[in-house]
Amino acid sequence: MTEISSGAPQSRQPGAADVGQPLFERVYVWELPVRIFHWVNAASIVVLFATGLYIAFPYLGPSGEPYDQFVMGYVRLVHFATAFVFTVNFLARIYWFFAGNRFARSGIPWIILPSWWRSLFRDIKEYALHRYQHPHLGHGALSGLTYTLIAIGLGWAQIFTGFGLYGETNPGGFWDTWFGWVLPLLGGSMQTHTWHHLFAWGFVAFIIVHVYIVLLDDTIYRNGLVSSIVSGIKLRRVRRIRARKGRLEVEGEPVREHHRSVGSRNAADVHVSEDDEAAS
Amino acid sequence: MTRTPATSSQPTTYELLQRHGVSRRSFLEFCASAAAVMGLDYSEVERVVQALETKPRIPVLWLHGLECTCCSESFLRSSHPIAQDLILNMISLDYDETLQAAAGDQAEQIRRDMIANHPGEYVVAVEGNVPTKDGGVYCTIAGETFQHILEETAEHARFVIAWGSCATNGCVQAAKPNPTGAVPIHKIIKNKPIVKVPGCPPIAEVMTGVLTHVLTFDRLPELDRIGRPKAFYGQRLHDKCYRRSFFDAGQFVEHWDDEGAKKGWCLYKMGCRGPTTYNSCSTVMWNGGVSWPIGSGHGCIGCSEENFWDNGPFYSRTADVPVPGINSTPEKIGMVAAAAAAAGAAAHLGTLMIKRARGSKAAEGDGSAASAGDEGGQA
Ligand code: SF4
Ligand code: SF4
Repeated sequence: MTEISSGAPQSRQPGAADVGQPLFERVYVWELPVRIFHWVNAASIVVLFATGLYIAFPYLGPSGEPYDQFVMGYVRLVHFATAFVFTVNFLARIYWFFAGNRFARSGIPWIILPSWWRSLFRDIKEYALHRYQHPHLGHGALSGLTYTLIAIGLGWAQIFTGFGLYGETNPGGFWDTWFGWVLPLLGGSMQTHTWHHLFAWGFVAFIIVHVYIVLLDDTIYRNGLVSSIVSGIKLRRVRRIRARKGRLEVEGEPVREHHRSVGSRNAADVHVSEDDEAAS
Repeated sequence: MTRTPATSSQPTTYELLQRHGVSRRSFLEFCASAAAVMGLDYSEVERVVQALETKPRIPVLWLHGLECTCCSESFLRSSHPIAQDLILNMISLDYDETLQAAAGDQAEQIRRDMIANHPGEYVVAVEGNVPTKDGGVYCTIAGETFQHILEETAEHARFVIAWGSCATNGCVQAAKPNPTGAVPIHKIIKNKPIVKVPGCPPIAEVMTGVLTHVLTFDRLPELDRIGRPKAFYGQRLHDKCYRRSFFDAGQFVEHWDDEGAKKGWCLYKMGCRGPTTYNSCSTVMWNGGVSWPIGSGHGCIGCSEENFWDNGPFYSRTADVPVPGINSTPEKIGMVAAAAAAAGAAAHLGTLMIKRARGSKAAEGDGSAASAGDEGGQA
């Protein structure tokens, strides 16, 4: 198992060209439930948005007798069924918030802690001024805040408005009983529809920014961010190789703070031999 | 809610009807149809008959606030042949600015006497809403503001009926920008049970149904979460609409004169508010069951729903969102937000690339240009 990858390919011994290159440690960040949540969430948002668009603006116009057709009926069925998938998935993620590793909890906005505010402003400054210096293994203050307000907030908003509207189909039924209060709160069924639409577009705006930031971070930090949501593993730079007295050495001490990391935990695991002769 | 006969010397509804020459047969017919409208079991018709035969009529003070009197008009056009007679006799309308014979001081005296002599017995029916701005001057009756009249009259009422959308949710007077500060009556009357009978106007049968229910069972009909009788406002038009099969099929009218319009397809894309409107139009219908708006080929405009004037335009399913200065649907706003997000991302990337280009030029000299990855510190 190759625990450490450097800027150099793994298949060869590091040479002088690697001097100054960072060494990366592989850290298991996103556990399987988190990754499953992410993709189920992504897929259901896409399906919900597409079917929602059809429900708001039906464009297929089948001809013939209505008893032969059930286009709107099926689209609504898919929308509702997916809404349940979305919700169960959402709730499962909340469970995993408590049950998972520490990264499953990373990014909670600790607005009562001054240190959280400092991290937030530091993150904002880094992105605003393009001074990228703090890659995060989990979520940073800024991304955590965004996920909480936008992704989770919108999720709840859609769940409540959505089930409120769903309850309309069966007055007095379960969903009406538990979520029906949302409608009068928002000023009636029509207004609730309007909010449901607005929130849906919020996801679109969120996804655009989300994908951009992910690609940006992956490019800048080379931390394997994009692949991490498939493999669960992020790369984290631990040390550099440096040349000292004609030998290649690994600089600095390995960092051991992360539990459940599959990467190396101490220098003995490092596959770069410190005794290797420098090419020069 | 229990009720002691208020004015037992008063004739019952049936006695009055007899005096007006209504036959027993017509009377029973009415009782049966009233029971059906209320959603009662056939076996309960007997109770309606009995109530109308034996119970003294309910004294009603019918107040008119800021309104157009369409509720009264609707009420007076109740469909059953003897309904008009019956309705006006079923309840004893002791005070109604539109219908009473008395005028001026006399009329106001009737109202005051009722409050003084029968506290807790009469019902206050309110048509219209209450302008609250500038001390309520935008609706005054006999020199008093309507707000004051309403508060004074409702104080000792048994319960309050809010007739129509004005009294229930504000209707057109309360639509933005609401120049008179009009508010529905539940914003003014907080300590009395209020039955809300929205609609602009409510269907006559619904209005009589509510009154018959009260008279028959001596209590308010079962109300939903926001105070509307469940029997009439429990479902959306959409759930009982005869065009629903076209909706489910995905067959929609696209233009007023297209093939679909001629075939009676669903009016959803023409802005029909049936899916968001709670009322009895699709079941009870209008004008004695002759037809109803969707039956006549026009979408519902949601007249019994809160804010229906502000949820326009009536011919589009997506309501305008009041963004200052522009009329926008949620979709337009959403697309703008998505475009703004994309533009923001592009601008961010653009500035990054400019910075990079500058940085690498500056660094070319010493040959130690740091890669992006190298700039990164520890997590
Ligand atoms: S016409 Fe209106 S109420 Fe009837 S099915 Fe279509 S959308 Fe629903
Ligand atoms: S169809 Fe709609 S707009 Fe017309 S009366 Fe009924 S609820 Fe009001």
